[in-house]
Amino acid sequence: MKHLACLFLCLLLISGCDWMPGRPTLAQKWRSPEDVVAFKDLYAQNCLACHGDGQSKAGSITLKNPVYLAAIPRDVLRSTIANGVAGHNMPAFSVAAGGSLQDSQIETLVDGILAWADPKKLPATPIPPYAAALGDVVSGKAAYTASCASCHGPDGKGGKAGSIVDKYYLSLVSDQYLRSVIIAGRPELGCPDFSSRRPGSPMTPQAIADVLAWISFQRVNEFDQPLSQPPAQR
Amino acid sequence: MKSPVQKLSDLGKDLFLWFDDRLHVKKIWDSTAGHHVPQSAGSWFYVFGSATLLCFMMQLVTGIMLALVYVPSADEAYATLEYLTYHQQLGWFLRAVHYWGSNFMVGIMLLHMTQVYLFGAYKYPREITWISGLVLLVLTLGLAFTGQVMRFDEDAYWGLGIGAAIMGRVPFIGQQLVDFMLGGQIIASETLSRFFALHVFVLPGSVIAIVSLHLRMVLTKGINEYPVPGMVVRRQTYDKEYAAIIKKEGVPFFPKAIDKDIIAAAFVIGGIVTCACVFGPKGPSGPPDPLQINASPRPDFWFLWIFSIAALMPEQIETVALLAGPAVIGLILVALPFFNGTGEKSWRRRPVAVIIVLLTWIGLGMLTYLGATSPWSPVMNAWSAQSTPDAQILHRSPLQLQGAVVLQYKQCRNCHAIDGLGGERGPDLSDVGMRLTRPQLTRQVVQGGGNMPAYGQNLSPAEVEALVDYMASLVPAGVPPARDYTLPQKTKN
Ligand code: HEC
Ligand code: HEC
Ligand code: HEC
Repeated sequence: MKHLACLFLCLLLISGCDWMPGRPTLAQKWRSPEDVVAFKDLYAQNCLACHGDGQSKAGSITLKNPVYLAAIPRDVLRSTIANGVAGHNMPAFSVAAGGSLQDSQIETLVDGILAWADPKKLPATPIPPYAAALGDVVSGKAAYTASCASCHGPDGKGGKAGSIVDKYYLSLVSDQYLRSVIIAGRPELGCPDFSSRRPGSPMTPQAIADVLAWISFQRVNEFDQPLSQPPAQR
Repeated sequence: MKSPVQKLSDLGKDLFLWFDDRLHVKKIWDSTAGHHVPQSAGSWFYVFGSATLLCFMMQLVTGIMLALVYVPSADEAYATLEYLTYHQQLGWFLRAVHYWGSNFMVGIMLLHMTQVYLFGAYKYPREITWISGLVLLVLTLGLAFTGQVMRFDEDAYWGLGIGAAIMGRVPFIGQQLVDFMLGGQIIASETLSRFFALHVFVLPGSVIAIVSLHLRMVLTKGINEYPVPGMVVRRQTYDKEYAAIIKKEGVPFFPKAIDKDIIAAAFVIGGIVTCACVFGPKGPSGPPDPLQINASPRPDFWFLWIFSIAALMPEQIETVALLAGPAVIGLILVALPFFNGTGEKSWRRRPVAVIIVLLTWIGLGMLTYLGATSPWSPVMNAWSAQSTPDAQILHRSPLQLQGAVVLQYKQCRNCHAIDGLGGERGPDLSDVGMRLTRPQLTRQVVQGGGNMPAYGQNLSPAEVEALVDYMASLVPAGVPPARDYTLPQKTKN
């Protein structure tokens, strides 16, 4: 009888309380990849590992960077997420390109990333265009010496910061990526953006294109031969 | 003049007699609940049998309640479970009680079997009791397995897959067996219907039938007396000895020997309800989608040891072991009361029996532990979702940073954690630079080894270089990197 009473009490307790620790919450419910719609979750599950989120740092460029977000056009951002960067380690995410994200999810990501933009933190100088043709190699060397050599060494092979002309490094990153880094820097790692490398004299769009040309012309093929000949001195 | 109360009780008595005359209720009661058992059988060791039966009855009740909502079709099973778990008031609790009831039932049944074995209760003249008990064990495991399929989520899918793989190994008729089990070539709605029929009709019905037989044997051949070292079973004399025990110290099971069973029942119910409250139901995890590569299924507790065996066994002996193993063990168990049906009953005089029991439990325990904790399944989304601690990113050269990216892109993180974050199938790489030199790192990446695939074909020289350069940089502050002491010291390039 006592046991029955105990049992009854237990049952009463249970039916009264909906907070039992074993009760599954909706948050624990399994969700298919298509059901993930919140930007925060989408970003955490798909991008965080390689791009970080400002808090956590990662190997590739941080998207949560005011200068970067001011530079990159919306459709470039969208198509980069959807199609990846061919030949480089940015995967394609759209279902059409073999990834796992629906177009609507990519749109959410684009919106969410651009919403990180913070115009108040932008430098006074106009932001250079996201994409542009390579500039001149020879002036590039001079611009490099002026803006970068203090950290990356006199010929780019490394100083306070590491080498940016290492043949393996160069074969892993695209020109556009290098350009993005030159514009937006990697402030979280100590590489300043285009406006703050030399106090008081931001890099001009021309200087950016020239430095990029100087770096890019040091690419080599698998036999260590230069990929492209520097154009004859002007 | 009789009082109205008196009249009513007379009426009741008459009614009872009327029924008793036709149904012989009293006789049945006396010969079952009232049957005499040795007083020594009123021991704590003897509660497991009734506790198992109690679990079964709870499963029947909760099972019927679940069946009110559950729709056994591949399209709806999953949805009805989600409804029960997240929307129906206390639906989760019902599922939890059914789930934990099943776990308890198998566990208590194994305890019961252990006790029966150690107390020599399978010996003459209780052979059929033992064998029917073995059938019940198989049926119960069948119920647990088919019940796991009812969830029809990725765990169920995994369980079915393994089951089909084992079936498929049977020589000559393997494929037919698989078709028979799955209701076709693949796991589909037919499979679920089939397992539903097994789970709610065939198996419970069989359990009820065999339990009746099992209990019938307990009544006709009596409950085993508490074994005393030195009292040996002989076929010629045992029946007389048992009759003498009953005559001398027999007590009616009800009400004299049932008290401990009732207390045990309270504990069992309390245990099930507590587990249900605290741990809740299992799953449903993701739906059973073979294309869903993010799955990392685990079978239910009592099948974890099989999971371990399947993962650990060398492939060459798998077929033989998976098919012959159960057959041999089953045969030995069935034959046990015949080749070992007499002699000492007490475990104090049966050291081999004790060793067998210990080894079995330790073996199963270790396999279960491995199955529950070993990270055999990679973490499938670590490559794009797992962040890297600052310590492993800051102060790295651009090439090393690219190495960190390659480590993600090539999904190394799915098997390798960094600072505890990521898969655990391979070693944590946070300080791998302290353990391995560059040539060793290169060799591991290019040629693989252990349980790691070889990446040689899938990595460009630059990617290998970046990876190795990055991993070599994973050294805790103040510790020198790994060095190959057989080579003269070289400076880093
Ligand atoms: C496996 C690592 C990895 C993951 C995961 C990843 N990326 Fe990338 N991403 C890269 C790499 C590497 C590059 C640079 C490619 C190159 O060299 O151009 C890149 C480039 C980019 C760029 C262009 C950068 C530039 O050059 O201006 C954008 C934008 C971008 N990623 C967004 C995303 C978003 C959004 C996600 C999540 C949906 C994501 N990435 C997930 C590795 C990754
Ligand atoms: C104040 C010092 C400093 C200056 C000036 C500087 N950098 Fe950096 N740079 C860094 C640091 C720190 C890193 C992080 C990697 C490292 O520590 O080696 C870095 C990284 C880079 C990377 C690799 C980023 C990646 O994601 O792969 C590139 C490319 C780069 N810098 C280019 C430049 C160029 C081009 C300039 C000049 C226009 C420049 N840096 C100026 C400090 C600097
Ligand atoms: C399928 C899971 C898996 C994947 C994916 C994987 N590894 Fe491994 N890795 C292992 C296992 C398991 C070991 C342990 C091998 C052994 O027992 O010798 C290991 C060992 C290693 C080791 C040696 C670690 C030590 O401390 O001895 C390194 C280095 C390593 N892996 C790097 C990588 C890299 C780089 C990648 C990606 C290109 C990668 N692994 C991908 C499973 C994996």
